[in-house]
Amino acid sequence: MAKGRHVNLSGAVMAVEGADAMVFSSDARWEMVDAITRETVTYGTYKYTLGDVLGDLTVKPLTGIPVAFAALYAFWSVFTSFAGALVTDGFMVKFFDGFWLPWMQSVWPDPASWHYFLFVGNPAADTCFEAFGMLTSGLFVSIGVVLPAVFVFYLMMTLLEDSGYLPRLAVLMDSVLHRIGLHGYAIVPIILGLGCNVPAVTATRILETKKQRFIMMTLLALFIPCGAQLGIMMSVLPDLVGIVMLCLIVGFCIFGFILNKVIPGENPEILVDVPPYHWPVKEYVAKKLWNRTMGFLKEAVPFVLFGILVVNLLYLGGVIQGLANLLEPVFVTWFGVPKETVGPLIAAFLRKDLAIAQLSTIPMTTYQMVASVVLVTIYFPCVATFVVMLREGWKELIAAIAVLFVVVFIYGGIIHGIGILLGVA
Amino acid sequence: MTEGKAEKNIDLPEGGTIVLMLGNPNVGKSALFNRMTGANAVVSNYPGTTVDFMSGTFIESGHIYTIIDVPGTYSLEPRDAAEEVAVRMLRDHPDATVMVVLDATKTDRGLYVALEVMERGMPCIVAVNMMDAAHEKKITVDIAALQRLLGVPVVSTTATSGEGVRNLAEMLRKAQVADIGAIAERLHGEGQARESVRGCDGCGGC
Repeated sequence: MAKGRHVNLSGAVMAVEGADAMVFSSDARWEMVDAITRETVTYGTYKYTLGDVLGDLTVKPLTGIPVAFAALYAFWSVFTSFAGALVTDGFMVKFFDGFWLPWMQSVWPDPASWHYFLFVGNPAADTCFEAFGMLTSGLFVSIGVVLPAVFVFYLMMTLLEDSGYLPRLAVLMDSVLHRIGLHGYAIVPIILGLGCNVPAVTATRILETKKQRFIMMTLLALFIPCGAQLGIMMSVLPDLVGIVMLCLIVGFCIFGFILNKVIPGENPEILVDVPPYHWPVKEYVAKKLWNRTMGFLKEAVPFVLFGILVVNLLYLGGVIQGLANLLEPVFVTWFGVPKETVGPLIAAFLRKDLAIAQLSTIPMTTYQMVASVVLVTIYFPCVATFVVMLREGWKELIAAIAVLFVVVFIYGGIIHGIGILLGVA
Repeated sequence: MTEGKAEKNIDLPEGGTIVLMLGNPNVGKSALFNRMTGANAVVSNYPGTTVDFMSGTFIESGHIYTIIDVPGTYSLEPRDAAEEVAVRMLRDHPDATVMVVLDATKTDRGLYVALEVMERGMPCIVAVNMMDAAHEKKITVDIAALQRLLGVPVVSTTATSGEGVRNLAEMLRKAQVADIGAIAERLHGEGQARESVRGCDGCGGC
């Protein structure tokens, strides 16, 4: 052990501190690093590869922005065509509505009983969405609709992550995200959040300041729908997904801008290490996809079933009807949506996908549907997100929820106002 | 949704050694960790994939090692919450062996944090990872010279293919405290030696 020994390395001064440890200045350390690499690392002539060419094309704004749009469009179209059209509509809907539901309705005894209501739901229902029993809607929503959606979503996301495209997207998005108090690297929690908000909340740790983390977490909880929710929206309201997403993106930008002005703190420049492109390693992609899909099956499916149980019990107990009457003035006059949407809002606390499925069965105008889906998305994080936000800090969570109530109230009102102006509300 | 099985409580088996993995972001710590422990840490190609720690165990020659994979960090002065996790783990486990993971294509940057760890007087071993990428870029790292200079075991690895991982596991028991003063002296000495060679006129004296 070097005890209090002074060593001079090409003129660098090293401070000696404590009894048995030498502490260097950062300059002295870098000088040592230089000396070590001079002795041990040699650089040959480097050939410009296809990966480097692609790397340049995807970072320079002129070519990068079209590439980013193309990548996201490809992502979206694979997502909708595979999960929505092929698996859900082509197979799952036929199976669940054609066989599973009629079979459950015929074998479960006593359609008037409470257990029929809880497990099978509405005896007159023709589709699994309308039935709203644990074993009918619960299994259909989680396995029939959301599972294929999250599966293909995670596959695409894994490819984006493993190829090395995300840091490049971060560079491109930097100037836009700076306007809302964040920097380009915030794209990582945003993209992760489109899969599931839970890992996204933890991923905000890569942001440097408290201000950035708070803005990001709040915006995640408010405006970023998760993969499960996107999947169900595509299935039940394919024509409205675009307008709902527009409302969310606009809200994201407006409230990000306001939060940036209101919250004190720094938003330092981005310093990101852009790694070279890699072909995603097959076994890693497979492993990650498997883990994430299994994670969904293990955690989300029980939650969907449990959510239906809770909502049905609350209906049986008359709680939801009571709440609906109580909140009717706010819902009808301020947000312009029917009071029946109170039920889905309760379900949304457990699972957002479930809430959307439930909304789709309420007879509503197009405007009301869009407004209520946007409200369900922004009004409160689901319980899993709530828990992980709590883990990141309870003060921030309370502040985020306060912001959330204000935003829901204001933004819900704005959407209603626009609806009135357009003559659709 | 949680990914993999993150063990939040690190319980050390009797007579085991804690090994902390440390290094810059995106050098392949989680990939090495998965290779060594068979765990399911998430591996991606962007800095900042790991934002929390995860631990796993493996047995090598009858000795139990508990490896902790921590978020990557550029230095021991944390600049974000993920780096704070890494520095906190280092502080909480003062008796641990530190496995410093370097990216062979960016050795200099990783060596900075390696030196910081060595200054703390913790036993170290260095893994020079991503040897395949370095090979593609025509970068060669003289592993033997690095080991001689640093005075701690240095192992070359390619975590994606598993190359060198076995060797790394075996060398763990040889991890030792680096003498930072001696490193500086060796560097100084070699620098001088080289200068004298450069200035040699071929007198035949050597």
